[in-house]
Amino acid sequence: MAEKQVSLVLENVSKSFAKVENDEVTHALNAIDLSLRSGEFVSLVGPSGCGKSTILRLVAGLIMPTTGKITVDGKEITEPSPERGMMFQKSTLFPWLTVEKNIAFSLKMQGKLKGNEEKVEHMLKVIGLESFRNDYPGQLSGGMAQRVALMRSLINEPDILLLDEPLGALDAFTRMNMQDEILKIWQEKGQLALMVTHDVDEAVYMGTRVIVMDSNPGRVVGDIKIAEGYPRDRSSNTFVEYRNEILNRLHFGGRN
Amino acid sequence: MSAKISQNTKNSIDKDQLGHLTRQQLKELEEKKKTGWQKALDWMIMVLPFVCGIVAMLEYWMVPNGGSNDNPYTYVGFLVVLIGAYLIYFIYSVVKKAGGDKAVLDMLRYRAPLLSALFLLLAAYDYLTLKTGILTQPFVPCMNAIINIAWIDRAYLITCTLHTLRLLFLGYFIGVFLGLVTGITCGYSERVRYWVNPVIKFLGPIPTSTWIPIVMVVATSLFKGAVFIIALGSWFAVTVASMTGISNVDKDFFDAARTLGASSRQLVFRVAIPHAMPSILQGCTQAMSSACVAIMIAEMMGVKAGLGWYMNWAKSWTAYDKMFAALFVICFIFTMVTKALDLIKRRVLRWQNGVVK
Repeated sequence: MAEKQVSLVLENVSKSFAKVENDEVTHALNAIDLSLRSGEFVSLVGPSGCGKSTILRLVAGLIMPTTGKITVDGKEITEPSPERGMMFQKSTLFPWLTVEKNIAFSLKMQGKLKGNEEKVEHMLKVIGLESFRNDYPGQLSGGMAQRVALMRSLINEPDILLLDEPLGALDAFTRMNMQDEILKIWQEKGQLALMVTHDVDEAVYMGTRVIVMDSNPGRVVGDIKIAEGYPRDRSSNTFVEYRNEILNRLHFGGRN
Repeated sequence: MSAKISQNTKNSIDKDQLGHLTRQQLKELEEKKKTGWQKALDWMIMVLPFVCGIVAMLEYWMVPNGGSNDNPYTYVGFLVVLIGAYLIYFIYSVVKKAGGDKAVLDMLRYRAPLLSALFLLLAAYDYLTLKTGILTQPFVPCMNAIINIAWIDRAYLITCTLHTLRLLFLGYFIGVFLGLVTGITCGYSERVRYWVNPVIKFLGPIPTSTWIPIVMVVATSLFKGAVFIIALGSWFAVTVASMTGISNVDKDFFDAARTLGASSRQLVFRVAIPHAMPSILQGCTQAMSSACVAIMIAEMMGVKAGLGWYMNWAKSWTAYDKMFAALFVICFIFTMVTKALDLIKRRVLRWQNGVVK
């Protein structure tokens, strides 16, 4: 399925940030050990401040760990790469470029646009926005913008897809639609998907594995395999059990 | 096709046709239907410039002159040209509307009151100068005299205009270019900002005109000195604007671009500069108005050519008609330059207002 099987390993990773206003240092992540492989859809859940987004930014290569190391197939991550595509909560589409040019941005930056125009075309078709190709992001709805942003990072066929609360700003219906769309794309390609969310339901609905995190300092408090096929029933007993277990780990005690 | 849709009423539009609507057609469909009285009023307003034009003509012709007036037909010709131009515009709009495009006529309707006022203003000016001398002759010459002298002295006026434009653009473009370079590097590099910021803070509050006496003494040629003054003003405006623009770029855009494989050079040229474009162009507009001020002062104080110099020279020979002629030429070229700049700005920033080609 996937073009390339990769494994992502975080070894004893800590990340601390210096506060702007005083000399204190916050420990966003403390000694994280994780091992992830292609084909997995990993949901990271936890309260704000637990460092889940920090993990994503570290894997993306946007920031460097304070201690420990992060490797892809044994190679340490030193800088961002199109092989690890990232989607942000804000669509971050470039407002001065049309939908089409936004999707083609990455290819253009790498000088690979010539001869790959049909890839852009394909991406437009996948999200059904062919007729919006010449529109600017300011004219799109939130859901459309996120679809375009997803395609913009997928055009490189990344081995690792990083999703930083990609659906957080969308309304409930668009959100459920896009959960299925993202799952479909991931199932076709079988990349390693790593998604940050603050929505426990979303984490269970989408993930093959849910990593539960807690704050002060940011650490992993649970690593739960979701052994359910897709599509999942949000109201089934097993679904509810998974959800309660995650909430328990975060001390928000469910019914049991 | 388009004509067919616009003639349809709201109810007879089926789903298939709605799919092919343009923005203009949509606007027409959703607009409240105008009553007969409103339509009649619109047409009356659109005819109003003709009426006012004729009023201006009659005023000039019927009211007895207060003093002498040479070559009286020039002003008549001028009015005829203005009315004729409006007539052509009017006919063009009506023809366009018949062809289904209502936008041109709407624009004409929008402009008609202002154009009417222009004719009335001409009539009032003529009355105050030539007819009654309330504005004393020859200090405030009548329009006929101004147009006459502009025509007689046209060769020299053109030479002066070209000189002004040359000086203006030379100084402006040098200033804008250097301003872009400093502004963008400052916005991007903390170290460059460290050194350049104090210079800007120190030089910034000094009005450009302050430099003129100094430059006149120091510069090897007055032309070069004037270029320097104009460039300095433009440089300052563009530097500040592009610096703010670049340093205000949302960090998320850089993050996104980096994960998409942009190099640091591309981060500057493909992300930071396009993002700062509204601010940069704002700076360019500001630079132009500062350049216009600077060039006039420079020409009036030292440079021995150009429209500013022409005005001053005409004044010293008490040729007030020439002075006013030059004033109108200055008005005209500065308006044109600003307009051109505005067009460029709208074209470059079309993503901002979401206008599709």
